[in-house]
Amino acid sequence: MSGPDASWLIRFHVGGAEAALPLRVVREIVARPTVVPVPGSHSFVSGVALLGGVALPVYDLRAFRPFWSAAGPDRGGPSGEAGEHLIVCDWGEARLGLLGDRVDLLEQCGQGAGLEDATEDRCAVSRAFVRDVVRRDEEAVVLLDPVTLFASLGVPAAGPPRAMEGAGEDDPAGG
Amino acid sequence: MKFLMVSVGQARYAVQADVVRRILDPTQEEDLHLEQSGAVFQGERLRLIDLRAAAGAPPARALLYLLLEGSRSRAIVPVDGTESIRDVAPADIAPLPPFIFARPARVFRGVFSDGPSPRLVLDQDGML
Repeated sequence: MSGPDASWLIRFHVGGAEAALPLRVVREIVARPTVVPVPGSHSFVSGVALLGGVALPVYDLRAFRPFWSAAGPDRGGPSGEAGEHLIVCDWGEARLGLLGDRVDLLEQCGQGAGLEDATEDRCAVSRAFVRDVVRRDEEAVVLLDPVTLFASLGVPAAGPPRAMEGAGEDDPAGG
Repeated sequence: MKFLMVSVGQARYAVQADVVRRILDPTQEEDLHLEQSGAVFQGERLRLIDLRAAAGAPPARALLYLLLEGSRSRAIVPVDGTESIRDVAPADIAPLPPFIFARPARVFRGVFSDGPSPRLVLDQDGML
């Protein structure tokens, strides 16, 4: 049962860290699609995937160095994990995907343990990206701050209207 | 819109066919000279757009060179092979979000579904 202060989170595993995002920013979870690398893109962009006719940028947080504390990614987890799932997020007019493993729904009841639990010796994620820490079964799940995270990844909070599903380029011939 | 399908290593790209002036075989073209950061073809110094280097792949000698001509400039693009010329409807090309690029001058503009994996479309307006 959900209490009055409960909110739902999407929990996932990335780079040895247990992280979560508010469910309201998550559009869907899909199995990792074919991702095409895009030369010239940021190093933390794995590439793009075609999802519903939209070119979805796919981000690998393990390659985004500012996201991690001094310990870096992969602490406490297997190195080289691929990201079995894609967490598709809507942010402003943009849509993006984050690679993650062990994706699950998590209920947050009331306030979490607070940022004190996110000190860098307990959490591999840099504190700048942590809004709160949720304790579950002796495990700390860091609730990420989507405003800071997506802005740091270069995702605009607002911009031109998103390409609608199935809509491609303008036909210069007018067709 | 017609596109020339090309391959560079494992990657597969599409180049708008009407900007491809020539497909050059370096073993047959005595007037093509490659330099560190450019190319000289028939005495004209041209920009070399190295897609292999842009993808972070180790350098390798290309089998073919595309001579591209846009409204402002011409450039040489090394490729490993040309596959076909195909018609792709503009509506089938999904534009790439500009915020994924590390620099304003980008090499690719879109992507479309093409068999086992999507294929990127070169941005001739950004390159030429």
